[in-house]
Amino acid sequence: MKTSFTIYTLLLPLLFLLTSCDLEQEVEVKLPPYKSQLVVECYLEPDKSLRAVVLESVSYFNDPELPLVPDAEVFITHNGKTIKLPFSPIQNKETGKYYTHRKNEKLNLKPGDVVTLEVKDKKGRHVTGTTTIMNQVPIEAVEWKFNEKNKAYLLTSYQDDPDAENFYRYMVHRDSLSNSSQRDFVSSDRLTNGQRVSYGSGYDYEQGDTLVVSLFHIEQQYYDFLSSISDARSANGNPFAQPSRIVSSVKGGIGIFTNLSYNRKTVVIEK
Amino acid sequence: MRLPAFAVYFLCLFSLVASDVFAQSTYTISGYVRGTGGEDALIGATVSVPELSTGAVTDARGFYTLQLPEGSHTLQATYIGYESATRTIEVTDQNLTINFALLPANSQLREVVIEANSLQQKLNASQMSVETLTTREAKLLPALFGEVDLIKTLQLKPGVQSGGEGASGLYVRGGGPDQNLVLLDDAVVYNASHLFGFFSVFNPDAVESVELYKGGFPAQFGGRLSSVVDVKMREGNKERIGVTGGIGLIASRLTVDGPIVKDKSSFVLSGRRTYFDVFTRQINRIQEGKEDFNRIPDYYFYDLNGKANYKLGEKDELFLSGYFGRDFFGFNDADFQFRFDWGNKVGALRWQHKFNPRFQVNTTLSGSSYKYNVSNKIDVFSFNLSSDIRDLALKTDFSLILDKGHTLQFGAMATRHDFTIGRLNFDSDDDRISFGAGNDYKAMEAAAYVADDFQVSSQLSLNYGVRLSAFNSGGKTYSALEPRASARYSLSERTSLKASYASMMQYIHLVANSGASLPTDIWYPSNDYVKPQRSQQVAAGISHLLGGGRYLITNELYYKWMHRQIDFRDGANLFVNDNLEEEFLFGKGESYGKEVYLEKIKGRTTGWLGYTLSWSYRQFDDINDGRRFPTRYDRRHDVSLVVLHELSKRINLTGAFVYGTGNAYSLPVARFAFQDVHGKGATVVPVYSDRNSFRLAAFHRLDLGLVLKLKPKRGEADLTFNAYNAYNRRNPYFVYFEQVKDEDDNETLGFRAKQVSLFPVIPSVTYNFKF
Repeated sequence: MKTSFTIYTLLLPLLFLLTSCDLEQEVEVKLPPYKSQLVVECYLEPDKSLRAVVLESVSYFNDPELPLVPDAEVFITHNGKTIKLPFSPIQNKETGKYYTHRKNEKLNLKPGDVVTLEVKDKKGRHVTGTTTIMNQVPIEAVEWKFNEKNKAYLLTSYQDDPDAENFYRYMVHRDSLSNSSQRDFVSSDRLTNGQRVSYGSGYDYEQGDTLVVSLFHIEQQYYDFLSSISDARSANGNPFAQPSRIVSSVKGGIGIFTNLSYNRKTVVIEK
Repeated sequence: MRLPAFAVYFLCLFSLVASDVFAQSTYTISGYVRGTGGEDALIGATVSVPELSTGAVTDARGFYTLQLPEGSHTLQATYIGYESATRTIEVTDQNLTINFALLPANSQLREVVIEANSLQQKLNASQMSVETLTTREAKLLPALFGEVDLIKTLQLKPGVQSGGEGASGLYVRGGGPDQNLVLLDDAVVYNASHLFGFFSVFNPDAVESVELYKGGFPAQFGGRLSSVVDVKMREGNKERIGVTGGIGLIASRLTVDGPIVKDKSSFVLSGRRTYFDVFTRQINRIQEGKEDFNRIPDYYFYDLNGKANYKLGEKDELFLSGYFGRDFFGFNDADFQFRFDWGNKVGALRWQHKFNPRFQVNTTLSGSSYKYNVSNKIDVFSFNLSSDIRDLALKTDFSLILDKGHTLQFGAMATRHDFTIGRLNFDSDDDRISFGAGNDYKAMEAAAYVADDFQVSSQLSLNYGVRLSAFNSGGKTYSALEPRASARYSLSERTSLKASYASMMQYIHLVANSGASLPTDIWYPSNDYVKPQRSQQVAAGISHLLGGGRYLITNELYYKWMHRQIDFRDGANLFVNDNLEEEFLFGKGESYGKEVYLEKIKGRTTGWLGYTLSWSYRQFDDINDGRRFPTRYDRRHDVSLVVLHELSKRINLTGAFVYGTGNAYSLPVARFAFQDVHGKGATVVPVYSDRNSFRLAAFHRLDLGLVLKLKPKRGEADLTFNAYNAYNRRNPYFVYFEQVKDEDDNETLGFRAKQVSLFPVIPSVTYNFKF
């Protein structure tokens, strides 16, 4: 649960109320020379073909173009078998999603399997990562309740396993997964170990809404990575936040290599 | 535990001086210097014997002590802004008590001329690295929104920095804001700020003076590494009822004081409240129902100060002091009730007993608590988070004047701490959701000390002592010896050399990683895993009187080592965490620098010029890849110039200029595109590298003030005009990077840096009255 800085974002308008508006100005900041690192994003899913994104990190004020690394080679190893994902960039026009390396091959993944990733390029950069396939945690119930204004809140419940340290990612999409998520957060079972956990919401929903509710059972390395992304983003522009470095799950570069094990329910909100 | 060594030292010191106690060759003349009507104690008043070229200066209670031989002597009591008083006394065969009541020099407000300790007294004291500020000084200086704030005025002194524009946090000689021991009439205050630290909790009408120790700490103080902020509340008028107040831009103050039993007992009661909530509620009401209207949350703070004293007899006096303050922040909607409140409660009862004019004891029983509470209710869901610290403390301090130039201070204290850390409840009315978190801890802290102020010769004076401190929490006990020493050597009547050493321990730690004084900062005890912080500081300096004694220039060098410094892991969760100690990181720190201070305290033009050259670093194995990094407030150059000029009897002009090297700051050096599992296209993630490796632009600002004394039919009044940031400098508060997007197709065009400033020029006017 990250309640942390929401409190202060509520207080901030008050602060700026005290001041006039003309208090922001563009300034020149000289950044030190930056050596680009490989940035890898690769998620394994059962029964899905292998896809990865390999890009580079760039100095902040560089031009906004996608820094492709055509000479990067991507290898995935599972059960002693190594598969090479060739460089073959593709972007889905509708969703905007893109991949740089892909191979139309599916892995037979079972919980507990260990899969490794290796990325190399001609500059000698070398990124490695490991993921252990997670089991699903079933969503036991998705319920909702209307108030007198005909708005409903959503309650999603599941049972946490008391014998393991667990991490979750919870997402709610309206209508389709290709829309931006309406809710998205990560959580650990530190305060709720072994309990039946329920995630509530605000009165955000109306009759007829179609909601796709996903509960990802995630690895700690993925939890750490997502948390650090969120911390780093909120540090840019929040004078009270301590800057946060990205906690990558891969070594030798930046990025995440993990597997997606989720339980998903689609509900239509009805009275 | 090295108790035996301590005990031996204690005994030696006593046997050394015990024989002197009764071998009296001179007599002690002591007493109080007060304003007429027995009102406030006059701190820093001089009582001198001109024919013997000797004298003393009153302490924070207006008390002085002199050693005089037999014979007829003329005592002269002087205090700027008051008529001098002269008394001729016969010293025969006993100690005498001589009190002075001085008449104000004119019928105007007493805030006339700046006057702390006299410069000669400062030059001669063996104590170094101390700054004294009275409310009278602070009230003349320009202030943000016209709200006089003693803590913020202290930031104008060399070696003391603010946490950010307008903030009341103190960063003393490279130490953190968590390393200041803030005392209000001997009781600890845990969070001395309102609203992000923009205001300190000390209502100037209730405060007499503040002393800030930056180094060379006297042995009676301990428990924090970097400074002691000793705030003394003023006492009520013993003869008649008086009312003081002020109406300002954002807050008003009212103080009533007077006798309870004439000449025996008096009280002072002071209150202050802000009123932006009154305006914001109106704005909300007018804007209600308009589209795109965001309600402005409610915010206000108030505080109450009270002090009463009762003279039990010639030798005994009781003082009862209290403080209660609250900040309240609320945001309500039809199905949303957010409430956030925080504040301190402080109370102290001090019993002062004088065995004889040379030997007195002060015993104080005090309580202090700080609590914050955040609650939110969204229909059936309720969320509540709170933390607090509660203290109960007993301490006793003896002061014994011996012959042959020794003055002994010794005493002991014990504090019981109760902590509640991150108490969380999250429930729904139908009980479908219910979970809680939080921890309670108890701790005991104790200390004993002894120190001897020894006037070896007219050239040399020494102050040496030791403090033994101990702390117990969760079955773990720590103890330490904290030696303290300072020395002064006079090269001439106008020049003296000073040096000091102090070792300090800190057993409780502030859980905060924001760099600002936030209400949610909470204290945490040392335990098995979190060991106490320790610091050592050496300082050396030279003081010289210039211009026939009208100016004093002080030049001090210091070096401070800090061990077991605390920071937090990247992304640490400090709010709701039952295993908070896992977020702690331990490292070390060092700071060093030079402070030059030139002051003038008499005449129509007074003020000071301070310059600090300093460095402040921390090193943690798990931050910045183990490399040393500058603290956010590592400030290479810091200049402050304060000038007060009495234009006429009715008009005072003041100006304060500050310049500081920009704060060290972390900025992303790079970025990468992150697509995530679903969603549309990529978003930008910043990549941070070295901690605090950038510098914000330099900070500089000029504040101007004008105090115009009015001539009301009754009492006294003035109008204080202020211009904060007079030349409207856009000082950097923080810098961030933003994505520049095409307005039509939302395409990213590039990236740029934006600097945010907080306060433009802010004019204000305050009406002060007294009758």
